[in-house]
Amino acid sequence: MNAIEPIAPSEPPVKGTAPAGTPLLEMRDIVKRYGSFTALDGMDFHVGKAEVVALLGDNGAGKSTLVKMMSGINPPTSGQILANGKAVQFRCRADSEAAGVETIYQDIALVDAMSITRNIFLGREIVKPGGFLDHRAMEEKTIEILGSAVQISGIDDPEKEVGFLSGGQKQAVAIARAVHFKRNILLLDEPTSALSVRETEHLLAYLRELRGQGTSSVLVTHNIYHAFQVCDRFVVMSHGQKVFEAAKADTSIDEVTYHVIRT
Amino acid sequence: MSMTQGDTAASSDHIRRAVDLRNQRGGLVKLRDWITSRPEGGIAVLFAAVQIVVIAAALANPQFRYLSDANIAVMLKAIAPLGIMALGVGVLMIAGEFDLSVGSLYSFCAIVTATLSAQWGGDAGGDAVAWAPFAAAAIGLAVGTGAGLLNGYVTLKFNIPSFITTLGAMLMWKGVTLLYHGATSLRFKPSEPFATLFGGSVGIVHASIIWFLIAAVLFWAMLHHHRIGNHFFAVGGNRQAAVAIGINPVKTKLIAFGLTGFMAAFAGIIAGTRVSSIQPGGGQGLELVAIAACVIGGHALMGGRGSILGIVLGTALMFTIQDVLLLMRAPGFYFEMFVGALIVVAVIMNMAIRRRG
Repeated sequence: MNAIEPIAPSEPPVKGTAPAGTPLLEMRDIVKRYGSFTALDGMDFHVGKAEVVALLGDNGAGKSTLVKMMSGINPPTSGQILANGKAVQFRCRADSEAAGVETIYQDIALVDAMSITRNIFLGREIVKPGGFLDHRAMEEKTIEILGSAVQISGIDDPEKEVGFLSGGQKQAVAIARAVHFKRNILLLDEPTSALSVRETEHLLAYLRELRGQGTSSVLVTHNIYHAFQVCDRFVVMSHGQKVFEAAKADTSIDEVTYHVIRT
Repeated sequence: MSMTQGDTAASSDHIRRAVDLRNQRGGLVKLRDWITSRPEGGIAVLFAAVQIVVIAAALANPQFRYLSDANIAVMLKAIAPLGIMALGVGVLMIAGEFDLSVGSLYSFCAIVTATLSAQWGGDAGGDAVAWAPFAAAAIGLAVGTGAGLLNGYVTLKFNIPSFITTLGAMLMWKGVTLLYHGATSLRFKPSEPFATLFGGSVGIVHASIIWFLIAAVLFWAMLHHHRIGNHFFAVGGNRQAAVAIGINPVKTKLIAFGLTGFMAAFAGIIAGTRVSSIQPGGGQGLELVAIAACVIGGHALMGGRGSILGIVLGTALMFTIQDVLLLMRAPGFYFEMFVGALIVVAVIMNMAIRRRG
């Protein structure tokens, strides 16, 4: 392998823990190059059933590159991706959608000028013959969806424009949308950066609840304390490589912090 | 599983209550909420107020002939071509793009139609060919659609602002018009049944206004009740979000560009049929009037917000003001002064109402 010399090789790459059973999504020996720059260098990563994985590391460690790859908008230069044990190609958003991956973006992917209902069904509208929207069916579904997520949001009108919601409520809508469309892996890229303290608590509680219902999450964050509240496993990246991986039971907040700041 | 469902039903209760409450509001509350929550709410209030004042004035003063058949007929006729054009322009604005070339296309497509119709023997007279104006109009509409798609292709392929692309297209089609036909006006007297279908009238209602209403209803169904309309709002409102959710912005915007070109051509052909002659420079400046009508009707310049009712009301309000000024024998420049002020007032009013809502 033609690895570049890291500028400050503070920590050697580690192989990390092997997945137990067949993971929902597994990435093996992933390399991503942009010209002469290597953003990911032999990265292994997996997400198991009903677990919350923390993806940690300083700015430029390659977390966002990996998240974009898992959401299908950034194909790897080389390496293997397996969904439920089967080799797949992630060339576009449709590929990752087929594998059940949904990304909740940092700059939330909702249209402010549209109602909650229209946002939830955007691109997956319930239509009658001829492509005309079935407003009644969509509103009915939205009421159900909001009912399941409403504890974290206090949203009571599916016709409300998303632009009038708070950051946390928007996030709730985005997550509710992902869950409704049977995504089994949620990718959350810095989801708490725009949230108030209370909204953050709600979001983390919601991720635990979803795990209980079988939905896995990958939480990309700078905040190790938030990660420790919900995550089952911690992966620390540096310079496009994995430098630390441990299950929650086998590590401590101090150890994880140490690996993040040492990189 | 059953427990989860039970929980879901229970926690949806307060949303259902809120929705029920919303459905049970009184008529006046519903109206107030509609005005404050819809982008065209402000203009609807202004339009109603202007109509009430003008109709009251007409009833009080018989010299002010606003309600006369002749005046209503003239006003309706005037609304149609610009309204048809504005439907296309407005939908494109919602999708987040501009088309400044619609005024030039309006003239060019009408001239193509009139020229071809005459060549194929479609001029009214003893042995006029019935199909000729229809075939010529189909070509004219195809040219308009093609020009709109070309605007879209260049804009999206090279990722430049549509303002620039269509500014260039505006000048280009103006030049092409002069190259194709010259600067003289062109007679357009199509044979039957084309003439009646597009130039006849039912009582005081001219065919052009009927076509405008048909087009408005079709556009309303498409924009507010069809999947593609939903996607127009999405790509115009937040392009990145639309992409992330799997909507193809290039395809969506191309459809909007094509529709805009089609409607510009349709407006030109309708107007040409009505007055039986086409001026090569007749469409100049209409692009900005069409955009003004949309802005008055509550459209956001940056896209993602607007409605068909807003376009219709915006156009109708502009022509009501023009008509009133004409009836009061005010010189033409007053129209521009009033419309200029109206654009700014309408936007301020919309913002104020939305903030209160």
